Amino acid sequence: MALTNDPREAARGRADNEAAQGTALVTSPARIEIPDSAPSDDDLLAPFGMEEHPTGGFHGLLEVIPTKADLVIDLIRANSLWPLLSGLSCCAIEMMSTATSKNDIDRFGMFPFRASPRQADVLIVAGTLTTKMAGPLVRLWEQMPEPKWCVAMGTCTTSGGRFKRSYSVVQGVDRVMPVDVYVPGCPPRPEGLIYGLLKLRELVMARRGQWRTYVDRGPQRVAWEGDVR
Amino acid sequence: MRLLVERFPETARDLWTDEDTVEVQLPRDAVVETLRTLRDDPEFGFFMLADAAAVDYGIGHHFEVVYHLFSDRHPAWLRVRVPVERANPRTPSVTSLWTGAMFHEREMYDMMGIVFEGNRDLRRIYMSPDYRSFPQRKDFLLPDDAADSSAAGVNPLERPETWDLTTFSRELTSSAATYPPPDTQVDVPAEAYPHGQESADKSRPA
Amino acid sequence: MTAVDPETRIPDPIDLDRGEEARLRAAAGLAPPSAAAGSEYAGFELVGVPDRPLQTEREREMYTLEEGEMLLNMGPQHPSTHGVLRLVVKIRGEMVTDLDPVFGYLHRGIEKLCENATYTTVLTYVDPMDYLASMHNEHAPAIAFEKLFGIQAPRRAEYIRALVVELNRVFSHGLMIGFLALDMGGLTPILYSFINRDDVVELLAAISGQRMLFNFFRVGGVNWDVNDEFLSRLGTWHGTVMKSIGDNEKLITENEIFKGRTRGMGILSGKQAIAYGVTGPNLRASGVPFDVRKAHPYSIYDELEFDVITQQSGDVYARYLQRIDEIKQSLHLIDQIMDKMPHGPVQAQVPGIIRPKPGRAYGAVESPRGLYSVYAISDGGPTPYRFRMRDPSFISLQVMPMLMPGHLIADTMAIMASLDPVMGGVDK
Ligand code: SF4
Repeated sequence: MALTNDPREAARGRADNEAAQGTALVTSPARIEIPDSAPSDDDLLAPFGMEEHPTGGFHGLLEVIPTKADLVIDLIRANSLWPLLSGLSCCAIEMMSTATSKNDIDRFGMFPFRASPRQADVLIVAGTLTTKMAGPLVRLWEQMPEPKWCVAMGTCTTSGGRFKRSYSVVQGVDRVMPVDVYVPGCPPRPEGLIYGLLKLRELVMARRGQWRTYVDRGPQRVAWEGDVR
Repeated sequence: MRLLVERFPETARDLWTDEDTVEVQLPRDAVVETLRTLRDDPEFGFFMLADAAAVDYGIGHHFEVVYHLFSDRHPAWLRVRVPVERANPRTPSVTSLWTGAMFHEREMYDMMGIVFEGNRDLRRIYMSPDYRSFPQRKDFLLPDDAADSSAAGVNPLERPETWDLTTFSRELTSSAATYPPPDTQVDVPAEAYPHGQESADKSRPA
Repeated sequence: MTAVDPETRIPDPIDLDRGEEARLRAAAGLAPPSAAAGSEYAGFELVGVPDRPLQTEREREMYTLEEGEMLLNMGPQHPSTHGVLRLVVKIRGEMVTDLDPVFGYLHRGIEKLCENATYTTVLTYVDPMDYLASMHNEHAPAIAFEKLFGIQAPRRAEYIRALVVELNRVFSHGLMIGFLALDMGGLTPILYSFINRDDVVELLAAISGQRMLFNFFRVGGVNWDVNDEFLSRLGTWHGTVMKSIGDNEKLITENEIFKGRTRGMGILSGKQAIAYGVTGPNLRASGVPFDVRKAHPYSIYDELEFDVITQQSGDVYARYLQRIDEIKQSLHLIDQIMDKMPHGPVQAQVPGIIRPKPGRAYGAVESPRGLYSVYAISDGGPTPYRFRMRDPSFISLQVMPMLMPGHLIADTMAIMASLDPVMGGVDK
């Protein structure tokens, strides 16, 4: 196998090798997109004390299982994102419309809108975030277990939107919590929200977004103090 | 309208009417008694309080509390305007007549700072209890654009390095890929955002 | 009983926490944790009570607990508070003894923003108030501004206005029925309601371009005339709407569980309703035939023929039946409007920047939640000097503390859903 520095190439080659040997858990690498910016294998393997061999193979105790299991887990995660049922205002009606019969987000495994933050892993911030609500919303966010993602739905949550000048509106939810996907529109059509959630799925598979931050740095509180007016 | 003049010759001033509203001004002391008559007298029969609003006529002028009443005997809305001094914004509460005036009065207290004497539950209804100003007064100015607002420059995503197009295009698909930016510490020093505190005070006269 | 070796015993996590807390406090130079707070429930008697001096008489009454009472906090994030309403409920056992609604979690300062916007843009700012009845939200300011400006919308525009407003009322009442059933544990009706709602909003989107916040009204008319897509969609929808409403009716109206949970619950008498300022279907369900469309006919409602329906019992079930009946009335109105619609322009001649003469105007409409009114003052400039909106759901939520005592906690949601508040309108 050729010597390569490109992790993507390396991953492909590795997957081919394993498919040939029948050792891989997931034997159809063609269907798993490994994007350019996927975390390099070093990052993923570092906790297990392993490193990539210059010739493309792996040396270490748990050769196959961690990477492959992670892929499977990512697949599971991406296909059963459970949003938190937390509508703030008008956009929430479109969010419900997304969940009900006509648009049926259940097709993507996202239906069970959980009422408790402890059972949810996507927070769809649907509606205007006011200064009075910012505290409770951040508390909800912090109660959600890792890994978790945040979708900002509507122009109010992305930037303040039509209430940008108001004295009591937080101008963009990214001032109080990290956001993975922004869905603009006032309100976005349900198709727009579905598109945003599919984008989120790509992020999950690529291990970008919140979960990546968490893996790299461990649990931490992102800086947001001093902003809530 | 004629009825009003006959019945309240001394208190009612400034009668005025348009196509479907009759308007009358009352002094502050007479408001409860007059409204009680308007409500209970079968000739008037204004049994429903449709709206109660406060108006600020600017610094140097007065506040005004405006009641809109509905009657099924008369083809017009009745608008009752009660001027309230700005230096001493107090007026009697009408919750004894209509219990439903409670929330109207709480809202007026919250937004304009008018104190209703006799209201049992006069606290802030929209803003949090420790808020100190009254947003709908005319001397409460909105930040004129986003740059003036207290949050200007605080948003960590609006940092200059994203203007570099190469990094920016990579971030397009995920704004949070490098969130928080690797080279900034989690604890941002306060002086990094000089606007933050100042304009917060500007937009909020105490 | 086997003896536990103290070396291998797994430590009690609470002990560990205590030890950790003491260590942290010592490191931070604080006093060690007080021994008085050692009781397992220390501090719990104060949960829910505001951590500041109580301000008013009513607040003291609410937050002073007697023996056996406790406070329960619902919201602001709660699956069935219809948004970000927070209810502090005082309970004894399962029984509610008092209730305090806390608002402001969605206060966006719309009135203030409207006072800083031109007359045309005000009509966009009021949209997200009562977001299930955006058309009504725009109707009242349009009426008030036309009075201020002294113009009249063309007759065809008035007919189109009445048409879209009644369409809006149909889906708003339909959603209320769905939410009421959802709050009592039935998932299916909301699905039917949303099918109907999606049909109507697509219909309105064909005419206005937006699915929810339509921004369709203009001062002196409406934005667009009805178009072919709208008419064809209207025909299809009209054929199926009674079926989808009827499906819901079949599921709910004669349902034993639903009747058992709603009949005789949350009874609001007509007198009380008037004293509390409740309007709209909730008032009519208590037997008072007050409808702004009849009492102060605006738009073209004096030319149309419809009944003001009332129910007598004033309980949750009556409020539900009232919604069903009003949907049928609205469909009847839609038929008449389509029959009578005249030809002509849909927009009067108005200048780009509207500067009315100084004056005051009051516009009131019957929104799906009751009397929605606007009081506008002009000082001659391009923006309203004062713009005040009276939202019906804000006022009708006042009856909650009066209705709730004596009911179970689970009934809170049913009674609240029957009042049909929309938090965007409540908090403005
Ligand atoms: S973006 Fe528009 S629809 Fe969404 S919450 Fe804001 S105002 Fe409402």
